Amino acid sequence: MKRAVLRRREQPLRGGQPLAFVLGLLFALLVGAVLLAVAGDPVLETYTRMWDRSFGSAASLSSTFNRAVPLALAGLAVSIAATMGLWNIGAEGQILFGATAATLVGRIGADWPSPVLIVAMLLGAALGGALWALGPGLARAEIGVSEIITTLMLNEVALRLIRYLENGPWKDPDGFGFPQITAKPDGAGLGVLWERTHIGGLIALAVIFGFAWLVNRSVWGYELRLAGASPKTAAYAGVSLRRKVLGVMVLSGAVAGLAGGIELTGTAARLNESISNGYGFAGIVVAALALMRPSGVAVVAVLFGAIQVGGFSIQSLGVSAAVSNILQALILLGAIGAAVLSTHRVVLVDRKVVA
Amino acid sequence: MVNLIAALNISEVAVIGLLVASLQFATLLYLAALGETIAEKSGVLNLGVEGMMAVGAVVGYIAAVSTGSPWIGLLVGGLAGAAAAGVHAVIAVVLGADQVVSGLALTILGLGLANFIGDGYTDDPRRSLFVDLDLPGLSDIPWVGEVVFSATPVTYLAVGLGVATWFALNRTSLGLGLRAVGESASTADAAGHGVTAMRIGAVLIGGLFAGFSGAYLTTTGIVGAWSEGLTAGRGWIAVALVIFGAWRSGRAALGALLFGFTLALRNRLQPFGVEFSPILLSMLPYLLTVLVLIGISIKARHQPSPAPAGLGTPYRREER
Repeated sequence: MKRAVLRRREQPLRGGQPLAFVLGLLFALLVGAVLLAVAGDPVLETYTRMWDRSFGSAASLSSTFNRAVPLALAGLAVSIAATMGLWNIGAEGQILFGATAATLVGRIGADWPSPVLIVAMLLGAALGGALWALGPGLARAEIGVSEIITTLMLNEVALRLIRYLENGPWKDPDGFGFPQITAKPDGAGLGVLWERTHIGGLIALAVIFGFAWLVNRSVWGYELRLAGASPKTAAYAGVSLRRKVLGVMVLSGAVAGLAGGIELTGTAARLNESISNGYGFAGIVVAALALMRPSGVAVVAVLFGAIQVGGFSIQSLGVSAAVSNILQALILLGAIGAAVLSTHRVVLVDRKVVA
Repeated sequence: MVNLIAALNISEVAVIGLLVASLQFATLLYLAALGETIAEKSGVLNLGVEGMMAVGAVVGYIAAVSTGSPWIGLLVGGLAGAAAAGVHAVIAVVLGADQVVSGLALTILGLGLANFIGDGYTDDPRRSLFVDLDLPGLSDIPWVGEVVFSATPVTYLAVGLGVATWFALNRTSLGLGLRAVGESASTADAAGHGVTAMRIGAVLIGGLFAGFSGAYLTTTGIVGAWSEGLTAGRGWIAVALVIFGAWRSGRAALGALLFGFTLALRNRLQPFGVEFSPILLSMLPYLLTVLVLIGISIKARHQPSPAPAGLGTPYRREER
């Protein structure tokens, strides 16, 4: 009687990680196809529609790029936290509160010159996101409270804060009694580059490169890498782990908050509770697939932007938009499963053999 | 108490309504927290509770309304939760991938699947609900009877599962083995316990209970129907309850009552003359979770953590 066990390879497979990603993608498409078929939906038509509406034309590409911006920033936020072994599950809430802060700035500076207003709103958004991550960061750094649950709980709080503003203090007087927040000021629209692609993509790229530079070229980044790789060595070298944990959480929150600001100025008409749109959670998937590397985040974000844009388009075929979330989760599950096989081999051993 | 209520001119109905709702939300949270406790006791962190709950909710609803039996809904919802947990069992236990990543992916997958399956069932007017079960004699006790002994059978089931879990974990050799696996998988393995099998079993039971919890939402008066976003982060509160309960089934029940009460407060304070925005009030359970976690950490600062020592660490026997 034989049984299968996993045995560590002496050398991980070359190119195992990109291969795992591709396998994850194929796995997701396959399982997705089975699900669609079981539900009686047209499989090929669904996938073709998703492709057409995400990469098929200039307008589609434009939507995909715009969609990739918050995904890339949320993914970057998650990977920034991961440099210290932390999980920021709260990008969703930081995006919401970032957008809320940007709205506040917009209400104050509605008649400022457009460029000033936009910059102020984006800064406000980053500050708001940082503030939203400050509590969990402090709790983690000072008393060791797991940041996973605290960041997540604040998502629910941020969501309800917007719901509150919508129904009361910031309710649109011209909304015919409908609970919505007053539209953003006229001057608060982000500039457009090409088709409908706004300059948010450039901002996101600048932030990604900025962070990569910070990590690889600055003293702070050197200490960060040291602290992430070996906390004991870093502590011995006089690096304050507490300050690194706090710094990383606040920076992570700021980047997620900025995503909220870009969504508000770039694509949304007004602040509402769906402005975060699941980007915070998708950002976790993006970051995990990019192995927490900033450069990888940008690439994966474009793919996920395409899946999400495609996900909307299939509703007209009568297919649930939830397919896009299912595909995203399946890609990750497939990829992390396949990644294990790049470092381990399946071998058959005798049942009797006990190590 | 009755005099006090009369003196404050508060309606008895409002008080009882609040307490009944508290117990309903407590049941919901407790079922999921109990399952997660079992999984974590075996050393597996499963952050997919929210997703498993959502799958249990929609599948349980469909099963209940198509058979007309809330019991079948509860059972099928539980099994659907267990099936969802199977994903985590394969990826995080069998293959030994990162438990945090796998669990988060399961939450996203579960929420997506639930919305996909429930696509045609939003706003479905059909209902198949558990009715309150009056415990003979006990339900006639003023106040207590109406609140505690006149609940749905699921609440009694949750209490029973809590006692059974306590007994199984602390008084049986299987439970001892499970806890050994969660403390140190390699030692337990050397002692002859099947680490992988135990962990798979614990994760599946965790999924079963989370599925029960979700089905409870759609087969009792607490909601009674399916809609997107139904679970609303409550699966995450259940994960926090495991920490609150210090990985013990009894203490988790206390936490479930506390958080159940805060979840029930929304929309139920006006009769008490409290004019406070229900929306702001609905933030309370989530804020309280954060504060409680901080409180626990401060209190336990200089004590060894009650968490299973091997929690979150995958185990692969390195064979020659």
